[in-house]
Amino acid sequence: MRRQTRRILFFVIAILVGLAAGVIYGWEVNPVQYADAAPDKLRMDYKTDVVLMAAELYHAEKDTDAAISRLAYVGDAPPLDIVEKAINFAERNNYAPEDMQLMWHLASAVDSTLTDLE
Amino acid sequence: MIKLDDTQEVRNTSEPAEKRGAWYLLTGMILGLILGLVFAWVINPVIYENTTPANLDEGNKDTYRSMIAQVYAATGDFNRAVLRLAVLEDVVPLYALGAQAQRALADGRQQEAWCLALFASALQTSLENVNYTNHPDVVPTQTLPVLNATP
Repeated sequence: MRRQTRRILFFVIAILVGLAAGVIYGWEVNPVQYADAAPDKLRMDYKTDVVLMAAELYHAEKDTDAAISRLAYVGDAPPLDIVEKAINFAERNNYAPEDMQLMWHLASAVDSTLTDLE
Repeated sequence: MIKLDDTQEVRNTSEPAEKRGAWYLLTGMILGLILGLVFAWVINPVIYENTTPANLDEGNKDTYRSMIAQVYAATGDFNRAVLRLAVLEDVVPLYALGAQAQRALADGRQQEAWCLALFASALQTSLENVNYTNHPDVVPTQTLPVLNATP
């Protein structure tokens, strides 16, 4: 009886060791690679670049609706929040002043359009 | 007098149990390993929050590529467009642009197709210039058969 209890205890310990090894391997060594990610999972610098592209196109087209639909590409958040987050990131990372200005213009246009809608 | 058959009945039962020891531990570890992998890969996999455009699905890559081409068409900033295109890690960027331009044209999105074709054209020109400036002694491929002197 005592031997059987010890065997069960060691069996459970072996399972736990294997479980830990499996989780470490599955999370750290060889995690699942997602090849089909959505744009809202993009790193912040890439999101900021998308916002900058939307700002560059807005500067050329002056089409706020198109700009808002382009901003929706990077997530479901309100468009003004998306632009403000991008501006904050750009400020922290010393983007060129002309790029900052483009994004500020876009933020202003989006803000006034959304205010008009309300 | 002891019979031979009687002595054969005597067995030491504790010895096989000791020998089996390592196998049940290995079974437990393998079972745990399988459970751990199922948990780590299926039930609760790692979710990357900070991915790159190269990991986007094809539809979103097309949207990203199209935006790059439209910005290039609007601003003419070729170097920035090339840097942006590079993050998509297309195997042959020129082919990706051309194929997408054709798809856009087939779907009736002529403005988008024009932007993509414009950028593809600029990229092709740039690649040709780079090839010739980096290798000034490159000779175009000989397409005609070499003439042999006839007697």
